[in-house]
Amino acid sequence: MDQKTTKQKAVHSILYWGLPVLAVVLIAVGWISFSAFNPELMPSPAQVWERLVKTFTKPIAKTTLFGHAWASLRRVLLALLVSWVFGIAFGILIGWNKKARAFFGSIFEVIRPIPPIAWIPIVIMWFGIGEFPKILLVFIGTFVPLVINTSTGIEMVDRINIQVGQIFGGKNRQILKEIVIPTALPSIFAGIRTSVSSGWTTVLAAEMLGANAGLGSLVTRGWQGSDLSLVMVSVITIAIIGALLSTILQKLEKVVCPWNN
Amino acid sequence: MPNEDTRPIKVEVKNLTKKFGDLLVLDDMSFHIRKGEFVCVVGPTGCGKSTFLNCLTRIHMPTSGDLYIDGVPADPKKHNISFVFQEPSALPWLTVEDNIAYGLKIKKLPKEEIKKRVDQILDLMGLQEFRKSYPGELSVSAEQRIIIGRSFAMQPDLLLMDEPYGQMDVKMRFYLEDEVIRLWKELGSTVIFITHNIEEAVYLAEKVMILTNKPAKIKEEVKIELPRPRDITDPKFIEYRNYITDKIKWW
Repeated sequence: MDQKTTKQKAVHSILYWGLPVLAVVLIAVGWISFSAFNPELMPSPAQVWERLVKTFTKPIAKTTLFGHAWASLRRVLLALLVSWVFGIAFGILIGWNKKARAFFGSIFEVIRPIPPIAWIPIVIMWFGIGEFPKILLVFIGTFVPLVINTSTGIEMVDRINIQVGQIFGGKNRQILKEIVIPTALPSIFAGIRTSVSSGWTTVLAAEMLGANAGLGSLVTRGWQGSDLSLVMVSVITIAIIGALLSTILQKLEKVVCPWNN
Repeated sequence: MPNEDTRPIKVEVKNLTKKFGDLLVLDDMSFHIRKGEFVCVVGPTGCGKSTFLNCLTRIHMPTSGDLYIDGVPADPKKHNISFVFQEPSALPWLTVEDNIAYGLKIKKLPKEEIKKRVDQILDLMGLQEFRKSYPGELSVSAEQRIIIGRSFAMQPDLLLMDEPYGQMDVKMRFYLEDEVIRLWKELGSTVIFITHNIEEAVYLAEKVMILTNKPAKIKEEVKIELPRPRDITDPKFIEYRNYITDKIKWW
């Protein structure tokens, strides 16, 4: 029987290692065949690769692909830093303080469902198309999920945990700092994860409307110049960076909330 | 134990009354508990045991009457009151040792003292090998042991336990009952233990307080004068158990 289970295990490990590989292979095959039959609609992987190399040998807007990626990343990171500070603080405030929730809650409920992209016209009218409006847009897009996740996390803290602090004679501020916020940390972190992916989406949308540098501007440039290979290069770069960010955050979560497997 | 208890009075409850609106839940309860005494409180389901406890811990304030510890009105910021909840209440983001140290840190005890007490509790509760684990990684009974340890580590003026073994199987309950007795003897804490299990009350207590149905009053205080470790099949044990059961059923 032991033999059977080890054999089963081996089959399983091959299966679960093999299935993702199979998925990638299928996509690649699909891509190659689609581009072979419709060359005007889809560049082949080889053409995309050539275009990728060319972004380094012949920079676009005096910047290589790395430069463009960094331009987008920098906008996102700057906006995220600001929104982490304010979003988490605001979320804690309205999650913990009933009066603050009564005051801000209804306004926030109205603003909340507006997709960040809908702010683009207003922000551009008010602030033009420089760096600040782009960062502001990312800030708007990341602020909302942070506030929602943080305040829900704070509200959902088990009463019993708060009572533990009360019985041991903890002051209100001690209870907030030492019990409520740590208990809510997994939710706060969920907000951080959502904010990163939402920020990455918003910055690209903002760049597509006007920017000299950034992956979003590359997509627009490729699109307007019918350079589909360039569009593909940018899209794949966007996807890879997005995936990297989410992996980094997953690892970080294990460090920050080790009890929350 | 000598017949005359000469230990000083630690906790005194005078005319404790609690109303929620018009609903009278606790009706003029008065009693005292001596230093180092182990008291079990039994009563019919829904008689107001939880309200009684919540008044003692100051989660609720009594409508009239009060609770005095060493002659002063009880105050969680001044006194050392500890509580073991019915449900698991370990703080999930702290390791076992940090959970045990938690109350001590709030009280700002010196570092060496905290370390000494935590080590002692880990030894007594057999949790040494799990000191770096998180509660979520342990079984429910181990988690309850953390909480019991956390409460004893405070060396509380008053330790309140609210049916801490309600959710455990018989074997684990017997084991933890002996643990509590061991900790209590070792550390000399004053304990109020709430249960609806009469056998458990007779097994643990020096004194059993029987509450009436709502509104709760103290119906009777029964001293349990049996040697330890107690034997639940001892005819005298059974006599106590039946006596208390009758008292609860009879009104």
